[in-house]
Amino acid sequence: MIEDDATLADYAARGLSQSGHVCDVLANGTDGLYQATRETYDALVVDRMLPGLDGLSLVRALRAAGVKTPVLFLSAMGGIDDRVEGLDAGGDDYLTKPFAFSELLARLNALARRPPVQAQITQLTVADLSLDLMRRVACRAGQMIELLPKEFTLLEVLMRNEGRVVTRTMLLERVWDFHFNPNTSVVETHISRLRAKIDKPFATSLIHTVINAGYSLHAPR
Amino acid sequence: MPGIRFMRPADLWRRSSFRLAATITLCIIAALLLASGVGFGLLHAQLNSRQDARVTEMFNALQTALSGGDQADLVESITARIAASPDTASVYLLKTDSGQILAGNITDFGAKPGWAIVSADQLGILTDYPYRIYTGPAGANSLSVGLSDADLDDLREMMAGAIGWAALIVLVAAFGAGVVLAQRMDRRLALVDGTMARVAQGDLSARLPLSSQGDDLDQIATTINAALFRLEAAVQAMRHVSTDIAHDLRTPLNRLRIRIEAAAVKASAGAPVATDLASALEDCDQISEIFSALLRIAQIESGTRQAQFRTLDLAAVMADVADVYRAVAQDAGLVLTAFTAPVAQIKGDAHLLTQMFANLIENAIHHCPLGTHIQCGLVVTETDVMATIADTGPGVPVAERDHVLRRLYRLEKSRATPSAGLGLSLVKAIADLHHAKLALTDSGPAPVVGLTVTISFPKS
Repeated sequence: MIEDDATLADYAARGLSQSGHVCDVLANGTDGLYQATRETYDALVVDRMLPGLDGLSLVRALRAAGVKTPVLFLSAMGGIDDRVEGLDAGGDDYLTKPFAFSELLARLNALARRPPVQAQITQLTVADLSLDLMRRVACRAGQMIELLPKEFTLLEVLMRNEGRVVTRTMLLERVWDFHFNPNTSVVETHISRLRAKIDKPFATSLIHTVINAGYSLHAPR
Repeated sequence: MPGIRFMRPADLWRRSSFRLAATITLCIIAALLLASGVGFGLLHAQLNSRQDARVTEMFNALQTALSGGDQADLVESITARIAASPDTASVYLLKTDSGQILAGNITDFGAKPGWAIVSADQLGILTDYPYRIYTGPAGANSLSVGLSDADLDDLREMMAGAIGWAALIVLVAAFGAGVVLAQRMDRRLALVDGTMARVAQGDLSARLPLSSQGDDLDQIATTINAALFRLEAAVQAMRHVSTDIAHDLRTPLNRLRIRIEAAAVKASAGAPVATDLASALEDCDQISEIFSALLRIAQIESGTRQAQFRTLDLAAVMADVADVYRAVAQDAGLVLTAFTAPVAQIKGDAHLLTQMFANLIENAIHHCPLGTHIQCGLVVTETDVMATIADTGPGVPVAERDHVLRRLYRLEKSRATPSAGLGLSLVKAIADLHHAKLALTDSGPAPVVGLTVTISFPKS
């Protein structure tokens, strides 16, 4: 984590280590770049405004040096343009301050275990639920399930992140391309519709609500 | 007022308009001199060669006289010619090798064969003009024949005088015109100067006056005025944001403060504070929500996003949003339907337009009672693409319609719903950014009122 706000960095690092991650914190851009090129990390959290070297330049330098470690930008600059700029510079995800720690954790988990891009997956399977990405059909316990296009995408996002928390914001961005926070229960409504189709008719539930965080799809534990 | 002052010479030279006039004057004079010089040179050469031809002709004629008879004939014909022109416009001299003058009207000037320009003084003639003289053999003697250069010299003087006068007139005229133009320009520039000085002092409402000429200065003034207009709008928007932040974030911040204070008191008494902290967290989220919405509106109103406009299908954008909210409305006990034209191309920002429709639909969902019908429609006309979101809810009183588009304004009735105040002003900002007209009307006559929001986009 390359972040110069000590309170924030401290809090996030503690939270990450409580969730079983190991996290190094660096307070300026130059040290951050050095450390990120020297060591191998699963993911980097980079603040955009850093002393020494700003976040954008840091990530550009990393990418130029061939370092492919996933990067999550953390920034108080939350405009749409800032976001696009961050992703263009080589960032993989963008989180605006102030944020909930659960959001950061969920996004980092999704980033760190994101499968390499070249692997073309055509079928996703969780327990007895399978999703054929080519034919765009879902099937649970040998039974075909009719899904609307957006329901299919919603299920796909959840299944690709099997066992990990996907937050409301992540779903809004990835399923509906909504880059704002709606004032109505958009996500809840569509999750409940999806549940009615893939969970209700069957004995066990696969979609689980994680309180104060989001949703997670996994086999019953 | 700065700029309008008495024009001293030093000031004059500092005027770009005057310098321009002066430069042009100098160029004209240089061109005049060059052109007259060349003209004079050509004319002079032409006259000289004609003069020379006449001298040669005279010389040849005399030589012919010699070849026809003897030397006496030549002397006689020279004497006759001298007698015919007593004004010494033409001069003759025939002398022997030993220097004895046989005939002539000039003194011996030591002629050598060929052409020579000789002053009148040397020839013993009382004029100021030189002579062009050709000397050649005439039998055993040497014959010199010449013509006065008086005509050519007069011409030279006349030309020099004419050119001088012309240059002087051009100089005076151009200088005068330069001063007048500089003064006129100066008056107009002083207006620009004065206006911009007012702007520099913070009066962004100042505008440059336009003359009726529609010239380049007016063009520049129009551009500057447009820039000032944008600047004023941007600064005003920023002021709005700061005022809004000051007014509307203080309330929730204060609420948050009270909650934390209460929790601290509770905690010191040993009571559990988990619920208080949870509400405090909610307050924080709401504050952050209002804050980002305000900044977003400001960003949209600043107009920079227009650079990212793409041609897009508004019908598809609306259909997608309606798709998302159909289920949401249904769960809230309302009915949402959408009838959109098959395709409606406009130039715009898909993310913002998505948010605009979402806000309008959410607004209807929040403010309408159970059973309300929300209808999204999109019609393509000759000139416009008209998007409508109509509901059969309580509607908005005519007097309130302008207000609801203002930032952070909420109808009294809906104070209870959080963060609703920003919805419509964001819609307005997005519509403005797309040069779309936003209109609020009743959905129908009296018993069923309802609100219809119409946004007309210019067709791309």
